[in-house]
Amino acid sequence: MSRYIFLFDLDSTVTRQEILPTISKELGLYEKMSSLTESAMRGEIPFKQSFLQRVDLLKDISVSEVRRMIGEIALNERLADFIRRNQDRCHIVTGNLDVWIEELIKKLGMERNTFSSKAIVREDHISDVFSIVDKNMVISQMVLPFVAVGDGNNDAEMIEAADVGIGYGGVRTIAPAVLACASHAVYDEERLVDFLERLA
Amino acid sequence: MAVSRTVIISCAGMGNRLGLGTTKALVEIDGKPLIVRHLEMLEEERDIRVVVGYQAERVIEVVRKYRNDILFVFNHDYRTTGTGASVALAAKFANEFILSLDGDLLVHPDDMKRILACDHEFIGGGAPETDEPWMLETYEEGGKEFVSAFSRNSGTYEWNGITQMKSQKMISGTGHVFQLIEPYLPVAFMNLRTKEIDTVNDYERAVRWVKNGFCQNGNDTDIVLRGKFM
Repeated sequence: MSRYIFLFDLDSTVTRQEILPTISKELGLYEKMSSLTESAMRGEIPFKQSFLQRVDLLKDISVSEVRRMIGEIALNERLADFIRRNQDRCHIVTGNLDVWIEELIKKLGMERNTFSSKAIVREDHISDVFSIVDKNMVISQMVLPFVAVGDGNNDAEMIEAADVGIGYGGVRTIAPAVLACASHAVYDEERLVDFLERLA
Repeated sequence: MAVSRTVIISCAGMGNRLGLGTTKALVEIDGKPLIVRHLEMLEEERDIRVVVGYQAERVIEVVRKYRNDILFVFNHDYRTTGTGASVALAAKFANEFILSLDGDLLVHPDDMKRILACDHEFIGGGAPETDEPWMLETYEEGGKEFVSAFSRNSGTYEWNGITQMKSQKMISGTGHVFQLIEPYLPVAFMNLRTKEIDTVNDYERAVRWVKNGFCQNGNDTDIVLRGKFM
């Protein structure tokens, strides 16, 4: 049996929609959100700065409302199913906020297996973001060989360090930094899951 | 029963000698890139892996226009390693057999059907054509032909890079593909009509071949009949 640990980026890897741009559509903030997301994906502004600006855009919306909206984001169901079936060895590594993604994470059964950014909530609103996930720190903690799957610029280091590093381009374009270091690239969800099954 | 097979198409190299400034798998023969010609003949295959290196993004783009469910495998060290390294990378976590094809090769469509119908290991070759061929020394046994050695100096056929082998035998190596196979010889031989695109002359010959409906000088049946295997 394989000893691989599986690390998955959440946004547009496990989800079939881009989380913050999708909910921003409903809130009429799409253009600003989308442009910040794009710059971060391409690595043109550091993830930390971009993320804090994106959180700021949503500061007037209650946490419970954002959580509810994110809970309705569509998942790549075959991949989600793989994660549920291999729960003990799968982990989500996401820059998104714990309090926002709670519902979505529950749907994946990853409550105990998620590395995310964290915020303090007061009166159902974000008062402070106090930690932003560093995917590099997460991989430095790994003692077992691991497989990493992602698409964005901030996934590149985790993909490079992985024994099997997979760029997934089924939802959006794989960032050039990922293509430059991945061992594999795949653009079809079924094909991705088929390959993961071979590693599991 | 269908063969448990992973098809590996190696497209990582640079193709300098062709002087077209593109990786050879993207070279168009009669309006269609070589890699697409391969994919058209592999319609029924489920596990296809394309190894990319030089111009990886361009190769991925061209392949995806034709077919999306491909697993791309990166050989980031394509400048310093041979096709054997590409095959070894792609042979990991594969099906029982791997069928290895070079992206710069044109295969006669009828011969590709024979390849895909084959359920055992083989090494492919044909009449010598290129300037510096790797030759196949063969012997006959029980009415079938087997490859006993790869050689620069002697042999009846030119090795064309096509082989089907158990994937577990192919998962490590950095040189030529034949160096991965050598420890397991003898292996059954399959006579195949192919054209390798290395130089501008090769390219022109390949274009003529396709335009003539894959007939050599109007008649290529003699080449097939000479093959003792299959």
